[in-house]
Amino acid sequence: MEIEIQAGTEAGVPAPETAQERTVGTTLLEVSDLAVEFRTDDGTVRAVDGLSYRVEAGRTLALVGESGCGKSVSSLAVMGLLPATAHVVAGQVRYRGDDLLAMPRTRHRAHCGRHVAMVFQDALAALNPVHTVGYQLTESLRARAGMSRRESRRRAVELLDLVKVPNAAQRIDEYPHQFSGGMRQRVMIASALAMDPDVLIADEPTTALDVTVQAQVMRLLAEIQAERQMGLVLITHDLGVVAGVADDVTVMYAGRAVERSAVRDLYAAPAHPYTRSLLRSVPRLGTRDDGHDDAHDGARRGRLPVVPGRPPSPGHVPSGCPFHPRCDMARDVCATDRPPLAEVAAGRSSACHFADELLGGDRG
Amino acid sequence: MGRYIIRRVLLGAATLLLVTFVLHLLTTFAIQLNGSPALAFFGDRIPTDAQLAAVEERYGLDDPCYDQTGNPCLGPYVERLGAYAQGDFGTNLRGREVTDIVATAAPNTLKLFAIVTVTWFVLGMGLGSAAARWRGRSADHGIRMTSVLIDAFPIFVLLLVYRYVFAVPLSDWARSTFGDDSMVALWFRPSFDADHPWATVLVPGILLGLAGSAAFIRLVRASQLESYAGEHVRTARSRGLAERHVVLHHVVRNSSVPVVTAVGLTFTEALAGAVITEGMMNIYGMGGVLWEAVRGNDVALVVGIVTILAIVTVVVMLVVDIAYAALDPRIRYA
Repeated sequence: MEIEIQAGTEAGVPAPETAQERTVGTTLLEVSDLAVEFRTDDGTVRAVDGLSYRVEAGRTLALVGESGCGKSVSSLAVMGLLPATAHVVAGQVRYRGDDLLAMPRTRHRAHCGRHVAMVFQDALAALNPVHTVGYQLTESLRARAGMSRRESRRRAVELLDLVKVPNAAQRIDEYPHQFSGGMRQRVMIASALAMDPDVLIADEPTTALDVTVQAQVMRLLAEIQAERQMGLVLITHDLGVVAGVADDVTVMYAGRAVERSAVRDLYAAPAHPYTRSLLRSVPRLGTRDDGHDDAHDGARRGRLPVVPGRPPSPGHVPSGCPFHPRCDMARDVCATDRPPLAEVAAGRSSACHFADELLGGDRG
Repeated sequence: MGRYIIRRVLLGAATLLLVTFVLHLLTTFAIQLNGSPALAFFGDRIPTDAQLAAVEERYGLDDPCYDQTGNPCLGPYVERLGAYAQGDFGTNLRGREVTDIVATAAPNTLKLFAIVTVTWFVLGMGLGSAAARWRGRSADHGIRMTSVLIDAFPIFVLLLVYRYVFAVPLSDWARSTFGDDSMVALWFRPSFDADHPWATVLVPGILLGLAGSAAFIRLVRASQLESYAGEHVRTARSRGLAERHVVLHHVVRNSSVPVVTAVGLTFTEALAGAVITEGMMNIYGMGGVLWEAVRGNDVALVVGIVTILAIVTVVVMLVVDIAYAALDPRIRYA
C-alpha cells in the first residue's frame, strides 16, 4: 500500500520537518522519571511514580499492567490530556529532544496529533456522535493545515482505505453509530494517522472488541506501524496481545515500571515475579510447550492460574516492594526495602531483589 | 429523515385534534352549567326569547345539546372543525372576525416572542457556556448565583418594578437627552405604541426573556459540562485542535441538542408570561385579547384564540423535533 498521507506537501499541508529522518532506531519520544499525582478527598495520590521509557522509530513498545497501574494516566500526561484533578509533579516528556511538559499548553497541544497521536479504547465514546466520520477524520487537517473541503474529502477516503474500511467513499458521510465496533476502531486509528504522526499511542485499542476482530485490528496496527516506521506505544493489560506485535515491553505495577525487556527475553524468562504471574495467566492452546515454559505445565490442565490478590489502589501502596503481598517469592526484605529498577542482564531491567534467582533458572 | 418528519407532522395533527376536542368539551360543559353565553351579548339588558334565539343561532349555540348537561355535543364540534378547515374561526360578540382580531394582535405577540427567544439564547448560551468553561471558578459561582436571583423575581415583579420605578425616569431622561421621537425614548416608553411596535416591545420582551433565562442558563451549563467530560472532547484535543475549536465544534455543538428541546418547552411557558406582560405593558397581543375574551364570556373568541395558540405551539414543537433530528444523527436514523 502506498503511503499517501506522508506526501503532505502535495495537499498544501506542510510536511513535518522531521518526517524524512524517521529511520529505525531514532529516539522519537523519551519519557523520563514521570510522576503524576491526583488530588482526591483523601489527599494526593501518586498514580505514576518515576516512569521512564523510550520510543524509537520503527519499534513498538508495550506498556503492560493491570488496570489502575498508571499506564493510561502516563499516556494522558504525555498528550497533555490529564483531567483537572491530576497534574504532573516531576519528569520530562521529550519529543525529539524538546520537553513537551516544559512548553506552554498551546505549544504542547500543537505537537499532539501532528507528532504524537493517540488511539483511545472505546471508539464509540471517543468519536463524536454528531459529526460524520469523514469530518472527524480530517478535522485536524482542515482546522490546522487549512485544507479545503474537497481535498479533505479525498483525504478522508484515503485514510479509510488505509485502515481497510470497505466502501470508503460512501462511508465517510456516515456517523460513528452506523459502524460496527471493529470498523469504528479502524476509523479511530485512521483519524489518529491523519497528520502522519511520528509516534502513535494506542490505549487498549482492542479491549472493547471481540476476539477475532481484536486480532484483525492488532494486525492492521502492526502493518501500518511497520510501513511508516512510526514509533508505537501499545498500552494493554493482555500479555497475549503483546507477543506478536511488540519489540520491547515495560511492565508496570502500582505506578512504576517493574520490568523492562525485549519481548523475546521476557517471554523466555521473566525477570520479575509479577511478569511471571501475568504470563501464567495468559491462556494457551495446545499441549506442552517446549523448554522454557514447562514451569507452567502443572497448571495447564484445569483452571487458569490468576495473579492472587488485587492490585493496590494508588492511595494505599504497600511498603517495600509494592508487589510483595501478592508475590509467591516474597521474603522479609521485600516488605521493608523497595527494590530499584536495575539492570539484571544485557538490555533488561527488573525491580526485584531476587531477579538473579528468577533468571538463574529457579522455578519458584 | 422524510419518514421521521411525516411521523412528527401526523403526531402534531393528532395533538391538535385532541386539543380542540378537549377545548370543545370544556366550553360545552361551561355553557351547560352556566347558561347560554349569548346572554353576554346583551350586556345588562334582558332580551326577549326571540332576540336570544336569534343570537344563539348566529353563534351556533342553538343546538339543543347545550341544554342537556353531560352531552358532549359532537354535532357542533364536527361543524366547527369543518368551519376551521375553511379558515372560518367565527366572530366575537361584536361581530368582528376572530381571524381579523388575531391578525392584528398576533404580530405584536410574535415580536414579543422573538425578543424573548433572542434574550434566552444570548443569556443562556453566553452565561451558561461561560459557567461551564470556568467551572468551579468565581465566574461560575457568580453566574449560578445570578440565575438563582433571577428565579427569585417572577415576571410580574420585574415588570412592576420596571414600570413604576424605572420607566418614567428613564423615559424622561431619554426624551430630554435624545429628543421626544428618538429611538431611545421609544425603548423606555412605559406603554405600547402601535406605530413603533418593535421599539416599545423591546424592554418588556427582554424582561420576559430574562425571567425565563435562569433555567436556561443552568440547562446550558449542565449539558455543556456533560460534553466537556465526554471522551470525544478528549479525542478532539488529542488531535491538537485549538481549545476554541474544541469548545465550539465538540462541546457547544453537542450540547445544542438538549438546549433546542428546552426552547420548545420554555416557549409554552412564555405563552403564559405573555398574558401577564401584555396586560401590564398595554401591548395589544394575543394574551391581552384572550384575557378580555375570557372576562367578557366571549366563547367564540376564546375557542378561536386558544385553538390558534395550540396550532402555534404544535408547530413550534414540530420545528423543535425536526431541529433535534437535524442536530443529532442518532435520532434521524432511529
